Amino acid sequence: MADRFPRPRPEWLRWAVLGVAAGILVIFLGAQRQSIEVSYGASPSTAQRIDQEPPGSAGVPSVEEMSALIRAKPVVRLPGAVASWDEAAVRAAAGGAEVRILVAPPGLDKAEQDRVRDVEGATVRIIGTQVSGGLYRSTGSTAADWRSQFATGDVTTLLMGLVAELNDQPAPAETDRLARRDPSAAELRAVTADLRRTGVHVAAGATLTEVPAAAAAAAFPGRRALYVALPQQPAGKPVPRYGPALAASFPDTPIVVMYGSWIEYDGPDAAGFAELATATYYGRFGDLLSRSAYPQRAVLATYLDRAADVRYSGLFDRPLPYRPLDPVRVALPALPWLFTACVVAFLLLSARSVRRPAPSAPSLGTPARLAGLTGLAVEMSALTSRASDPALTRGITKLLAARDALAGNLPDPHARELLDDAEAELDEAAQHLPFDGYRPGDYLRRRPA
Amino acid sequence: MSTWPIWTVGAVLLIGAGFAAVAVPRLRAGDLHRRTEWSAARAAIGTATVSRDACPVPVAEAEQLLSRAELIAAGRGGLAAARAAAECARRADALWRAAARG
Repeated sequence: MADRFPRPRPEWLRWAVLGVAAGILVIFLGAQRQSIEVSYGASPSTAQRIDQEPPGSAGVPSVEEMSALIRAKPVVRLPGAVASWDEAAVRAAAGGAEVRILVAPPGLDKAEQDRVRDVEGATVRIIGTQVSGGLYRSTGSTAADWRSQFATGDVTTLLMGLVAELNDQPAPAETDRLARRDPSAAELRAVTADLRRTGVHVAAGATLTEVPAAAAAAAFPGRRALYVALPQQPAGKPVPRYGPALAASFPDTPIVVMYGSWIEYDGPDAAGFAELATATYYGRFGDLLSRSAYPQRAVLATYLDRAADVRYSGLFDRPLPYRPLDPVRVALPALPWLFTACVVAFLLLSARSVRRPAPSAPSLGTPARLAGLTGLAVEMSALTSRASDPALTRGITKLLAARDALAGNLPDPHARELLDDAEAELDEAAQHLPFDGYRPGDYLRRRPA
Repeated sequence: MSTWPIWTVGAVLLIGAGFAAVAVPRLRAGDLHRRTEWSAARAAIGTATVSRDACPVPVAEAEQLLSRAELIAAGRGGLAAARAAAECARRADALWRAAARG
């Protein structure tokens, strides 16, 4: 019985599954648009370049003059040169090969830099503290490199790396060439007094004229930072380290100490912040600073911009903003599975509707009627007369067509129509027979069911 | 997103299944309808042939109609062809029957 009368197809279920699948797809596509950007607001600073133009350069002699100088002496220091190095260490790194070094002052313009590069016979050229030679340029990559380069003008590490590379020698080991010492009580007292009074200490020889107020406010909002500016320190001597000593005197206060172009930070969050700011600042501007002679105000302003950028990037000193629970985001990983399940369900239900056509089993009466009429035609064919012959033949033709229709699973009404025609023909033929009882109506009634 | 293939393939399957679920039964019904019409047409042609053989006098118009019906049937066309062939055969059959009755 269950086969004869199948349950009505759950058509609504199929459409429901399709609707759910479409809904999930829409949710998924909508979720693609949501960004997970968490912003603390845009940084007001633009630490993309150093705003101030560098001051005019000291100038260099002509190419011929410099070539003559370098031919005469292995090391030529042009007036204003700031770089220094440990000659013995560099000679050792070169492995005995001759090294001729031309040292130019920082802050040269483009034409002057080209002139320095055109000098023949110089193995290594140093412009400011930028070291180059052959096809190479040697740049610092660690805080120790930058510290000795910018605080004291000591380019020994860079030179050693370059001459070793030029002469196919093994690269020298990394060393921190800058020795540090604690500042003496007298030094500390002078600085502390200035800081207590104005918040800024500018040592003799330092080029800091004023602290850039806007950049300072962006870098350390709501706090008054202290600034100490020292000139470039003499190379080869221990450099005093003011930061920790001042941090002890001024707790919970940002302290920025400049040694020439080298900037150190101490104070709150120094552990997480100082290294990051140093690496991003000198990684970005180290090359420019090494060959230029910017005053300390420009260097400090760009550093403070950099600090503001770090602060606004959210890496430092700020809790993450509250993010409410987003049900879509939570459910997102499950959506593909739900979608797949809906697709499979829809496919199965659709396959059922495709595979099972509407039940068109012929009613049992039609084949029985065909059989009865065929029997009648066979009986009549033995009694046929000239007058009944065509009608009988036509009837038989219709019967054959009805048989083919039933065999070909054509719709029942069509077969019945053909049988009606055949019955009419046989009826006409029977009227011409001399015997009664061959009219299809009578005959079929007589036949046993 | 690594789940993109699932969504793409799933959407294609959904659309394809939708089209198939509509198109397949429709094609099947159309095919059945066509076969039915051709069955009727063949039956009509067979009947007309019998009437022609039984007719004592030739009827030129009926001959023409029947040959046209057979021509159409030989061409194996669609629904319209089947209906046209059946109509021609029926009219030829009627003409011959009228002629046979005298």
